[in-house]
Amino acid sequence: MRLSELLGAEVVDQTGRSAGHVHDVRLVQDGPLMGGFGAGLRVAGLLVGGRAIGARLGYERRDMRGPLLVKLAAGWLYHDGRYASWDRVVSVEPDRILISGSVEDLPEPGAST
Amino acid sequence: MAGRILEAGLHLLDRQLIDRDGRLAGKVDDLELEVPEGGGPPVVTAILAGPGALSRRVGGRLGAWLEAVANRLREGADRRPARVSFGVVKRVDNAVHLSVAKAELETNRLEAWTRDHIIGHLPGAGDAPE
Repeated sequence: MRLSELLGAEVVDQTGRSAGHVHDVRLVQDGPLMGGFGAGLRVAGLLVGGRAIGARLGYERRDMRGPLLVKLAAGWLYHDGRYASWDRVVSVEPDRILISGSVEDLPEPGAST
Repeated sequence: MAGRILEAGLHLLDRQLIDRDGRLAGKVDDLELEVPEGGGPPVVTAILAGPGALSRRVGGRLGAWLEAVANRLREGADRRPARVSFGVVKRVDNAVHLSVAKAELETNRLEAWTRDHIIGHLPGAGDAPE
């Protein structure tokens, strides 16, 4: 599988409701050892949302600091951002990722680095 | 201890690859993900670089054209994009630092192809010092 197969895919639950599209994939460095890099990067979950402009600026993360006006504007653009942890992924199909439970249960994205 | 958290698109895609001698060695155009033996979440096993990897991200006519160009630059039936094993990644900051030399990487194929098929055929090319 390639990262590009996840990016842009629509995340839907088993009733067919959409949470939006994947705009980024969160990785955690606690996977199997990878040579000089140490622990490998494991897929932890998907950052999902209907709008991606705020996310591209990094403002979907609550701890992001920046000019207030930009932060407010980006916050409005990204108010529907959600996080789907990988353990909720049931299947990855072309352009579509099926998750367990309801899209309503998906939390807001937490902080990254 | 919890591991470092990165976002693939924000912190890895389009970052510069730098070889062990500080030379530029391409960019991160895509990542190869594999489910480990025994199952569990996928892990990043390789960096994919070059027009063959980028074409999937670009999509549409431009993506198809990029893929066709990349395929012309490959020898034989090998249609994979240039692959850099994540095992040779030393660290990730504003760039992706590698522990090997650029010449050992598949990302060097375009440069090698240009040298062998274009530069090498120019009159006087053989006169250049090694």
